[in-house]
Amino acid sequence: MFRAKRRTVVSVAAVAAVLLAAALAVSLTQGSSKATDPGYILFPAGQQPSAPDFTATSLTGSPIKFASYRGRVVVVNFWGSWCNPCRSEAPTLAVLSEQYRSHGVAFLGVDVGDTPANALAFTRSVGITYPSVNDPAYVVTQAFSQAVPITSTPTTLVVGPSGHVVGYIYGGVTYSALSTLISDATVTR
Amino acid sequence: MTDVRASQSASTETDAAAPFGISETGPDGTAAGATAGPPAAGAGAAGGGWLRWGWRQLTSMRTALILLFLLALGSVPGSILPQEGADPGGVQQYFAAHPALAPWLNHLGLFNVFAAPWFAAVYLLLFTSLVGCVVPRTFRLAGSARTPPPRAPRYLQRLPHSASYPSALPPDAAAGAAAAVLSGHRFRLRRPDAADPGSWVSAEKGYLREAGNLLFHLALLGVLVSIALGGLFGYKADKLLVEGQGFADTTAALDEFHPGRLVSGSDLAPFSITLNSFSASYQTSGEPAAFHAYITYTASPGASAHSYDLQVNHPLSVDSAKVYLIGHGYAPVFRVTTAQGQVVYDEATPFIPANTGTLLSDGVVKVSSATPSQLGFEGVFVPTAVSVGGTLESAFPAADNPAVSLIGYSCDLCMNSSVSQSVYQLDTTGMRQVTAAPHLLFPGQTWTLPGGEGTLTFVGYKQWVSLAITYDPGQVPALVCGILALGGLLLSFLVRRRRMFVRAVPAASGTGSVVTIGGLARTDASGGFKDEFASLSAELAAADAAAAASRQEREPNNQSETGA
Repeated sequence: MFRAKRRTVVSVAAVAAVLLAAALAVSLTQGSSKATDPGYILFPAGQQPSAPDFTATSLTGSPIKFASYRGRVVVVNFWGSWCNPCRSEAPTLAVLSEQYRSHGVAFLGVDVGDTPANALAFTRSVGITYPSVNDPAYVVTQAFSQAVPITSTPTTLVVGPSGHVVGYIYGGVTYSALSTLISDATVTR
Repeated sequence: MTDVRASQSASTETDAAAPFGISETGPDGTAAGATAGPPAAGAGAAGGGWLRWGWRQLTSMRTALILLFLLALGSVPGSILPQEGADPGGVQQYFAAHPALAPWLNHLGLFNVFAAPWFAAVYLLLFTSLVGCVVPRTFRLAGSARTPPPRAPRYLQRLPHSASYPSALPPDAAAGAAAAVLSGHRFRLRRPDAADPGSWVSAEKGYLREAGNLLFHLALLGVLVSIALGGLFGYKADKLLVEGQGFADTTAALDEFHPGRLVSGSDLAPFSITLNSFSASYQTSGEPAAFHAYITYTASPGASAHSYDLQVNHPLSVDSAKVYLIGHGYAPVFRVTTAQGQVVYDEATPFIPANTGTLLSDGVVKVSSATPSQLGFEGVFVPTAVSVGGTLESAFPAADNPAVSLIGYSCDLCMNSSVSQSVYQLDTTGMRQVTAAPHLLFPGQTWTLPGGEGTLTFVGYKQWVSLAITYDPGQVPALVCGILALGGLLLSFLVRRRRMFVRAVPAASGTGSVVTIGGLARTDASGGFKDEFASLSAELAAADAAAAASRQEREPNNQSETGA
């Protein structure tokens, strides 16, 4: 009968509304307590997103083809000289890049929202010798965002020899977190 | 929004006053007016009864109105007190001004009202209340739109409108003639059945009213869903862009990003925009006349580039997002070199207008890579420099005589905090002022800093624009549903639901019959039914006479004492 149908409808609506309310409440609380602590995220084998291929120019004006890094572990660091956490993590990156050079691990910076003059003055002052892509308009960043959510600067990715992103660090890198990711990319893949 | 009017006594189906439209009983069959109190406790099903009672309370129109009022009331502090999202500086100022009160207000979430749990509770309850009301009501309306009219009552004279005429036709034929007329007027008919085999017609018209009501309720649900869509999948973002610069629409590139609950960075439309140039024209009074931001955009990486003249109220639609021009200002270009001549800073640095009329702007220059000391500058940029009693002022918003005035600071490693800082603020604690007085520079001029700290050149200036990027997938559906809801409401107001009943009984004389007609209209606010009934009665009588005449022609032997 229609009346019975109506009652069913009411109960279905009630359940749906309560579920919706619960889902929204959960997402609200998650939104407010969003973790901002830097940590690293390691992709499980088989679920590693492919790093995009791109061609760009370095801060000094020479061409950089990301495809030419294939076969090596690459640490890709998104940074800007205007960004305090980037300046803080830079000495760690400088040390690790020297330390892993003999292991064949390459480092590549992606300098975003910046001018080459400011960026080069900074890399000189902190002793970073690896190249950086000049990405003032975040074009390279956008390409990488399809694979890994680069929500803020700095973000550091470790790309394995096959061109897949092994894991990433959100926020400033620490020595232990980045060396863990590099070892993982070097040993298992 | 269950109808809370006390229902009349339950009407039987043969009652002419059987309710038009939806039934006035509650969803579980009890009269809605009886929901004033909770069900009597005691029986085993008491829990279910309480639940049903609570549900009915929540979905009553009274509760919805109270919740709507609470929502409006809750928004008041949001417009009186500074809010975290829109004005974080104002919140800090409020904390400084009211150190005792502010923490309490903060505990209550009054500095971020629209994200406060109690605010969410109110709007979720309102949403639930509306859904819980509209969904069952929609089904009832759909049912009522399908219901045939009730049987014709026995005593049509008792209806608000009634009339009677004699017919030369036998009762069945008289009723049939009336049915043909009413059918021609697009009434929905009900004819005699086994339960009441007399000669009668029952007709009803104005079902469009129910259809309009149904449309209104469905569209209302559509509006709610659209708003939810916008809140869950939409986003708002801001970006400041200097002439010659570009940006790709990715989270890291945006200055402010307010995503919906279910939006992640990879959901952003992959367009990119470059600001080629910006031109502002002003009237001689300094009032702005026109702003043009000449941009180049690509809808996605690798797509072809298009040019666009972005103006105020003339947004760019790209990949379903809209880009608005919302502000502009000046970005003086500075070059800082060390004493050895090495460039350590070369950038157009956006300054923020402090006076929107004259575009006198404030800004800072942070030269963190300078050697031997780090350098910082607090500056004022004036587009048309004039000296008012020795103070630098701007006379006009256009850059007719641009100048900057800078105070220099230096320090060692004071800018190496790992905490993100605003690029528009310089924390000068622990910094040494390079010179006592501010230093005035015109384009092309170089300031040699004392103490071998290097040089600063005011190269020139560029202009910047601020862009608002919005994506609201619910906007168009909400508009469409809003229009439909309005249309449905108009239909349900303008269309009257009315019933006509016809009963024919054999005349006392033995031949022919007496036809009685009755009319009933609910919500006849404009009073048009009286005239409609009169004209319908006349038409019925005329049609009856015509039918009798043609019947006599076809069957001349058939006697008729009551001739037409």
